[in-house]
Amino acid sequence: MPEHIRFAKNRRDFLTDCFCGMGSLAFASLIAQDYARAANLNPLAPKSPHDPSHAPAKSVIFLFMAGGPSHLETFDPKPLLNKLDGQKRPAEFGDIQYQNVNANSRILGTKRTFKKHGKSGIEVSDLFPHQAEVIDDLCVIRSMHGDMVVHSAAQYQMMTGRIIPGFPAMGSWVVYGLGSEAQSLPGYVVMPDPHGAQEAGVPMYTNGFLPSVYQPTMFRPGKKPVLNLDLPQNISLDQRKKTLNLLRQLNDTNHGEDPEFAARMSAYDTAFKMQTEAPEVFDLSNEPQETLDLYGVNQPGTDDYGRRCLLARRMVEKGVRFITVVSGGGGPEAEWDAHSDIEENHGRMASWTDKPVAALIKDLKRRGLLDSTIVLWGGEFGRSPESERSKGRDHHNTGFSMWVAGGGFKGGTVYGATDAIGLKATENPVHFRDLHTTMLHQLGLNQDALSYMHLGRKERLTEVRGEIVKGLLI
Amino acid sequence: MKSLLSGFLAFTLLLAAAELPVAPLGSYKPAERKFWAFQPRKSIAIPEMKDRIARQWIKTPVDAFILQTLNASGLQPAPPADRLTLIRRVTYDLHGLPPTPEEIDAFLKDKSSQAWATVVDRLLASPRYGEHWGRHWLDVVRFAESDGYEYDTHRPDAYRYRDYVVNSFNSDKPYNQFVKEQLAGDEMDPANEQYLVASGFNRMGPLRKNVGNQKVAGSRNETLVEMTNIVGAAYLGVTVGCARCHDHKFDPFRQSDYYRMMGYFAQTQPHDLVQATKDQQEAWKAKAAPVQTEITALQTKMKAAPESEKNGLAMQLDDLEDKLPAPLPSVYTVEDDRKNATPIEVLFHGDYLQPTARVGARPLGILLPEAVSEKPVDLAQPRLELANWVTDPENPLTARVMVNRIWANHFGRGIVSTPNDFGRMGGKPSHPELLDYLANQYVANGWQSKPLHRMILLSNTYRQSSNSPSEKLAMEKDADNALLWKFTRRRLEAEELRDSMLAISGKLNPKSGGPSVMVPIDQDLVKMLKRPQYWVTTRDKSEYDRRSIYMIYKRNLQLPFMGVFDAPDSLLSCPRREQSTHAPQALEMMNGATSNTLAAVFAARLNSEAHSNPARIERAWRLATGRPPTAAEKALSLQFLSSDPNNPLVLKELALDVFNLNAFLYVN
Repeated sequence: MPEHIRFAKNRRDFLTDCFCGMGSLAFASLIAQDYARAANLNPLAPKSPHDPSHAPAKSVIFLFMAGGPSHLETFDPKPLLNKLDGQKRPAEFGDIQYQNVNANSRILGTKRTFKKHGKSGIEVSDLFPHQAEVIDDLCVIRSMHGDMVVHSAAQYQMMTGRIIPGFPAMGSWVVYGLGSEAQSLPGYVVMPDPHGAQEAGVPMYTNGFLPSVYQPTMFRPGKKPVLNLDLPQNISLDQRKKTLNLLRQLNDTNHGEDPEFAARMSAYDTAFKMQTEAPEVFDLSNEPQETLDLYGVNQPGTDDYGRRCLLARRMVEKGVRFITVVSGGGGPEAEWDAHSDIEENHGRMASWTDKPVAALIKDLKRRGLLDSTIVLWGGEFGRSPESERSKGRDHHNTGFSMWVAGGGFKGGTVYGATDAIGLKATENPVHFRDLHTTMLHQLGLNQDALSYMHLGRKERLTEVRGEIVKGLLI
Repeated sequence: MKSLLSGFLAFTLLLAAAELPVAPLGSYKPAERKFWAFQPRKSIAIPEMKDRIARQWIKTPVDAFILQTLNASGLQPAPPADRLTLIRRVTYDLHGLPPTPEEIDAFLKDKSSQAWATVVDRLLASPRYGEHWGRHWLDVVRFAESDGYEYDTHRPDAYRYRDYVVNSFNSDKPYNQFVKEQLAGDEMDPANEQYLVASGFNRMGPLRKNVGNQKVAGSRNETLVEMTNIVGAAYLGVTVGCARCHDHKFDPFRQSDYYRMMGYFAQTQPHDLVQATKDQQEAWKAKAAPVQTEITALQTKMKAAPESEKNGLAMQLDDLEDKLPAPLPSVYTVEDDRKNATPIEVLFHGDYLQPTARVGARPLGILLPEAVSEKPVDLAQPRLELANWVTDPENPLTARVMVNRIWANHFGRGIVSTPNDFGRMGGKPSHPELLDYLANQYVANGWQSKPLHRMILLSNTYRQSSNSPSEKLAMEKDADNALLWKFTRRRLEAEELRDSMLAISGKLNPKSGGPSVMVPIDQDLVKMLKRPQYWVTTRDKSEYDRRSIYMIYKRNLQLPFMGVFDAPDSLLSCPRREQSTHAPQALEMMNGATSNTLAAVFAARLNSEAHSNPARIERAWRLATGRPPTAAEKALSLQFLSSDPNNPLVLKELALDVFNLNAFLYVN
């Protein structure tokens, strides 16, 4: 029996647990009381964190800026860049490995202007006027670094801790560690960019060697984001209830006490509940106009990302554990991958996302959800101080910015620094693995305890140990 | 640590400038050598039973070992399963398909003492056997038909390897030969097409390609890593891949051992052998010529272009390459480039930029006497030399690992519960003597699998019921059923489930082999590909109803039905499938297109083959579960059908319920 599935002890547990959403009112009240017991049947039932005394965060929203947004145009002002514009990189900054930038490349100044914002006075560029409004809630890490300078490998490392595909992603780790609070929604959701795919493709989001119960639900664009949530054509809800009722009765006639069968029927109950309740969550029409406006829903540019961010908030409210909201896909120009023109590219990408991102922070905060929700913003790397094709910037993994809000992360803080041209993380460098470890820590998960039997050994899901970066935390 | 690291880096760079030292050959402590898996197989006698009743239970040598261990643990085997259960069990086990009612009846009526053996032999002789057991092997070698990574470029001829595997199982090719052909077929006989297809095995791993910066040396290193790791995982059943970055933490594999294994692949290069007539090749060239001209021009331009423009040009090049006509059929194989063997170096943390020592080619040190010297990496026929070592009858791992895989696929659990890891962190053998006995027999019988299947399937151990009268006691002593005090019930795997729905609805297209099928799928899934243009739906719709092994295995787009039922993602070797139970499976089965479409077909079949509701119900159960419905099942189903007698969808809904019955989804 697979070790990850915990089954009911006896038939009575089964009976009390299995009728959720199936119209058996007599049992409905029992369900609420026996919530804990449901853990026996549902492999995604909430689990206690490794450290219940320190688990401020319950959910994660990752605002994934695919392609690699520039730190130099956003959160890491480097006045020296404009002075060195057009010159070769001074030797004292050292050398790094690039994709396209080489010895002949020239420093590219930025057209963005930086101003201090909020009580914290953190400098944010005019690319992000909305995020600047919530800067006191953001913990800006200016010293991120990863090991890979090409998209796919860097995306794998950011999402899974490994530079090759085939391993479980952050979202799968968290659902494996904590289960899900959402009764009628998937525990781990990815909302891709409708423009298309990222370089690393779907494998960067998936469960790897973990059982498929921890796989992400990849949302589709439009009003029906979850595959198979709708009844087949020509089948009424009433008919389907009868079909399911017959199935339960048929399966009950035979197999007495096998807990696996109980788990199976429980999965049908959950599925039915998802089918009837999830569409309500996806329906934004009941949101007040003020909220829709806040996120930029129905406004040009921001409508798509705004809807997805709002949906993320609605899912967090329902207890969904991990949600990735992707910005960028379908080729360099539709991602933050500004090889040819940093101004045009980032101007456009920011205009689509800045307002919704800030709205998400504001909305979570006013609803009291920010303290228990980690919001992570950023991409697989930043961008080079040197120019590529005169106006663009190359990939850049040795020092760049990400931010984290909520979930016990210290808002209004800048952590770490790069050198004077943003080439290398020089002060308090934070590797992806340190970020992973720190996020897990805030969720009450210990990276060493978060392991799974794979190829005969307990494999740490994060692979290489990271450090808990205390300086990021309240 | 930081300064230490950079100091180390400086040191290694210095080393690179000078000549790297040769890594020491390593030495292995007696305690390391004593570990059971590295010890030679013992000569094992079949246990003798004094008790007469016990002796009667023993049908094949397997039973003697199992019974001995059960008795020693105070446990009893379960009584035999009934014939209906048995034929369903063994048909799924060998074919991954349900038995037909006719096959069931023939077995139930066969009163001869050979009835069971007749069924087993019939199933082993059918080509359906290779389609099912070949799939087990494809899991292990992470078979896929695309590169993975950014482009996930298709490998439209990868099916040849799949067919090679299926055929090898069907013809019961000796396993040592099977291993040799895969590792070194091209070296054994470059004129033998099947050998060439087989050694395409060495290219089965994902292939990293990136826009612009191809990092040639780094990519070559990744390719060599894929080739090396799979030898450990698939053939030797050890996690030698762990020693890529450091000495193995638990097993006696030094980092230098890892790179010496890699030494056998230093000459290995991909080789596509076009399979087309001259005329076809000419026609292809003519079609490709205009695009080729553009490509050549762009390549020339790239050479002269400033660095900053190369990335953009490389992307244009990619787009142009997409415009070339579909590649001609070819065999994906490998060949040796002896003159340009890649120097193999021990790499600090596995980083190709940080070599620390040179190595040649040598098998794992722990399995050799102390201080066996290495060979230069440009030795003749390097992979054949490796293959000969792997398949040497004295190699303590190879035969044990394969018989354990076979055992695991029959019983749901191996004698070693971790089929890819016989090391210290893997499972300890539940029946070490049986494992050695089976491996000895395997080698003595010419490494053929079918005699081993027979020895297992004809045993009473295999024929036990999945319910034990002393379940409670046994669960306390051995909850995992490692000792086999009953048969372990299992759920159908993804392919079995889909194939069975096709089979019982009468729609299964039994065609064998050939190019893989791309079924129409949700366009939003295709959009999640970086190169959606690769998904070209197969034109002939009858192909959609073929067995799942013939559906395309694309690394960046797993068919949702397969993924939700724990089919492997073909990125890593999968020795044993997960079996999880969760709501998206229920959504797939109740609302998904696959099950609903087939339920309608199944309902139509029931309508045409039976003319009353009781008869339809009877037929549905016989086809899906092998048995007639119970009185309760019949009554419930009749009531369901009569509740809305004029609605044809009701029968389809009943058919869908049959697909979701435990009695259909589980094998007892």
